Amino acid sequence: MPETAVKHLSRAWTVNDPLVSVSDLKVWFPVASGMMQRTVGHVHAVDGVDLDIKAGETLGLVGESGCGKSTLGRTVIRLIEPTAGTVKFKGEDITHVRRGHLRALRREMAMIFQDPYASLDPRQTVGDIIGEPIDVHGLAKGKERQERIRELLRVVGMNPRYADRYPHEFSGGQRQRIGIARALAVEPTLIICDEPISALDVSIQAQIINLLENLQSKFKLTYLFIAHDLSVVKHISNRIAVMYLGKIMEIAPGGQLYKRPRHPYTGSLLSAIPIPDPKIELRRERMILQGDVASPVSPPSGCRFRTRCPRAREHCAEEVPPLEAFGDEHKAACFYPLD
Amino acid sequence: MTQPLLEVQDLHTVFSTKDGLVKAVDGVSFELNPGETLGIVGESGCGKSVTALSIMRLQRPGRIVGGKVMFKGQDMTRISEYEMREIRGREIAMIFQDPMTSLNPVYRVGWQVAEPTRLHHGWDAKRALASAVNMLGRVGIPSAAARARDYPHQFSGGMRQRVMIAMGLTTTPQVLIADEPTTALDVTIQAQILDLLRHVNREFGTATILITHNLGVVAGMCQRLMVMYAGKIVEAGPTADVFANPKHPYTWSLLRSIPRLDAERHEPLKPIEGLPPNLVDLPNGCAFHPRCVFRVERCQRDVPSLLQVGDTQRAACWVTQAGTELKGA
Amino acid sequence: MIGPSRVAELDMPAAGIETGAARPAQSYWNESWERLRANRIGIAAGLLIVLFALIAIMAPLFSFALTHYQPQTINLDETFIRPGLRHLLGTDELGRDTLTRLIWGARVSLGVAFLTVAMSLSVGTTVGMVAGYYGGWTDDVLMRLVDTVLAIPAIFLFILMSILFRPNAFTLAAIVASVGWGSVARLVRGEVLSVKQRDFILATRSIGARDARLMVRHLLPNVLPVLIVAASLGVGQIILIEAALDFLGLGIQPPTPSWGNMLTNAQSYFFRSGFLVAFPGLTIFVTVLASNIFGNAVRDAFDPRLKS
Repeated sequence: MPETAVKHLSRAWTVNDPLVSVSDLKVWFPVASGMMQRTVGHVHAVDGVDLDIKAGETLGLVGESGCGKSTLGRTVIRLIEPTAGTVKFKGEDITHVRRGHLRALRREMAMIFQDPYASLDPRQTVGDIIGEPIDVHGLAKGKERQERIRELLRVVGMNPRYADRYPHEFSGGQRQRIGIARALAVEPTLIICDEPISALDVSIQAQIINLLENLQSKFKLTYLFIAHDLSVVKHISNRIAVMYLGKIMEIAPGGQLYKRPRHPYTGSLLSAIPIPDPKIELRRERMILQGDVASPVSPPSGCRFRTRCPRAREHCAEEVPPLEAFGDEHKAACFYPLD
Repeated sequence: MTQPLLEVQDLHTVFSTKDGLVKAVDGVSFELNPGETLGIVGESGCGKSVTALSIMRLQRPGRIVGGKVMFKGQDMTRISEYEMREIRGREIAMIFQDPMTSLNPVYRVGWQVAEPTRLHHGWDAKRALASAVNMLGRVGIPSAAARARDYPHQFSGGMRQRVMIAMGLTTTPQVLIADEPTTALDVTIQAQILDLLRHVNREFGTATILITHNLGVVAGMCQRLMVMYAGKIVEAGPTADVFANPKHPYTWSLLRSIPRLDAERHEPLKPIEGLPPNLVDLPNGCAFHPRCVFRVERCQRDVPSLLQVGDTQRAACWVTQAGTELKGA
Repeated sequence: MIGPSRVAELDMPAAGIETGAARPAQSYWNESWERLRANRIGIAAGLLIVLFALIAIMAPLFSFALTHYQPQTINLDETFIRPGLRHLLGTDELGRDTLTRLIWGARVSLGVAFLTVAMSLSVGTTVGMVAGYYGGWTDDVLMRLVDTVLAIPAIFLFILMSILFRPNAFTLAAIVASVGWGSVARLVRGEVLSVKQRDFILATRSIGARDARLMVRHLLPNVLPVLIVAASLGVGQIILIEAALDFLGLGIQPPTPSWGNMLTNAQSYFFRSGFLVAFPGLTIFVTVLASNIFGNAVRDAFDPRLKS
């Protein structure tokens, strides 16, 4: 069954097309209140996002907590049902595919989670955790299954003997490797990395980043790399999308985004990130934002960022700025962009 | 040379766990000068937080088993709990990582910020509240008088951290200990709080101990820094010198392993191999030696002590103490 | 406030693994079992329950080989005999051997208790799991049903049921379980709601696992500890309920002996022979006490969080 499903998927799609194509995606969560739990409003977690992920690239998705980046990632692989809009995978609209077909799609996409403690079932052995995708999709049995589990452990840099251990016996970095092995077990094309290193110790983060980079070139993977740490995202990504309150504010290749941010939010985000070099850090000009992020339940009219934006004018409240091109592959949604 | 404000000498703090005795702080010595900002950097479990808690004698269930903490001519490890309470919050204030749980949810914010002055200065409620409102305004809380009547849950994370800082400052302490004050916050909010801490340091002249795992934060905030690993200080010195020319392999590797926003080209990171140390079962010799690319035979045998290396820095490393420069691909 | 989080910082996962000095792989179940085994009193209480259960199962053998009487054999020549060699625990007003009747009564009391626990656990777990996992209107409907069941006065239900059905061990268990499953469902739903939030559930969904697999392979093992605790604490409680029902005449009917209905008879003859009250009472007391001690031991072993 998976064979035919994959064949069916790849009809008319070529490698040069975007692997994932998201258009006008909206994910709203109802807010219930009172004794009868009536819906009193919606959290506009993702509110009209257009985004392409090219095959083989790493697209970084940055934003502060509550900006909707994790929700977007989960909706792309249909772990969350979108409220509106479409998600295309290899040219096929997967927004409304049936359950059986969705299962076949699950072989193409995997996810790595932030918290290496919560994302592994404490009652399963490492072997069972990694073996589960193999069982679910009937990829291997018996000896072959065991060999595959051992191979996956080797691939992520762990001793194959650990297959019969339990997650609690491992450190955060090792658990994250186990989580990565599980994601690789289905041999996916796309992996959503949801803050995969932010829970790890500083000295371990680089190990995991390098592992992810090696695996990408080895298995021709495409990453959607979600994180709040722009320096990590810039390191690992080809392109970076900046999200704020459910919308993409700016998208550009990493170097360009850093050198010449166009959106004031990107500018302030960049200047807020400390650089581990006192010579630079003490001389940096800072653009410190005032106030807090507005509520996603009732986002501001017009531009979402205008309530904190130093450049905001009247017009920003009246109309939502569209994502406009600023040169090659560089887009920003701002009426009064930075130079 | 000014007299140090706070002097920690050979501090030892241990925890009993079911797996054995953990030496969380293992012979830490340093001093804090008036008005300076001192950074303590390290990963989780390196003992940086326990060091701070031990200074405040809040290290329980851990026990201070050795060393001195000299403050205003007295050893804070020996004074009575009553005398300690007089110092806590009045002379030395502390702010914590999680502003969500550091405030009591059932009291109004103004009341909580006023509590230290009522407690320490014996001010009446009215006077204490007025000063609390004033302080809330000074740490950048808009319409402070109105917000003082709100409850903690009505504040965002960044605002709560401001409240915590205001609470710490009401008694105009001489030392402020900030334990990962921005770790739970978003970067733009982190920038706000760091800016506030710089401002506090300048305006109030409060000497600050900033504990963090973020090397970038230290780079922009601290004049001096100490790097901790497995309960010990492995390197100490002026921030600029330590960053420019680290004298301990751990600092050296750590600086090379983190991705930098201002990196020009994409180069693979150079991670520190291996795992953080298991405090129950530390390796012999230097605790960092199993992960160290410069290790020599002696590192597996003898524990190095923190000695002068170069003009301004101190490092606990046999290799650099012998005069070797840290260089590598 | 400060203490626990600091210790958590120190509580580093076994980093010694790379050095090969790690302890052997231990599952949660192994660890719990080790903890339970270390609790001597708890184990003794558990063994006592097992012993009683074995005696109950082998009641025919015991009455044949040990006491030499049948539970319902009437001997009007030997009424109200005091404990002695002929009748180890004496006889009742109809000359029936008390020990034999206690042994046969254990079949009813323990049988009903285990059966009830099994029934309320299986129904309650299923309902709670489905409600917690699917949420939404499924949850609403099922939980309102649970509210309704728990709002019916149990004693009223018992009276009604014992009129409609002739109570035997099975129907009695069904009657008690028809109330008991509600609280189990609530318990399981609560656990499922919290376990469901954890990322490994999402991770399992992300690889394409079906709902059934998620519930059986991931949710069930994670709610099992609370179920085990609920079961072991439930046994004693149900023995008491069952005894009370028998005593009130709503449960097992004479002449079939049960610990409860033996007391009913005995109350009329309290002053003739106190032993008739003492022995069944003492048996119930010891059994319930042992179940509670064992239940607490199990709770401490399987769920260290709850330990006070």
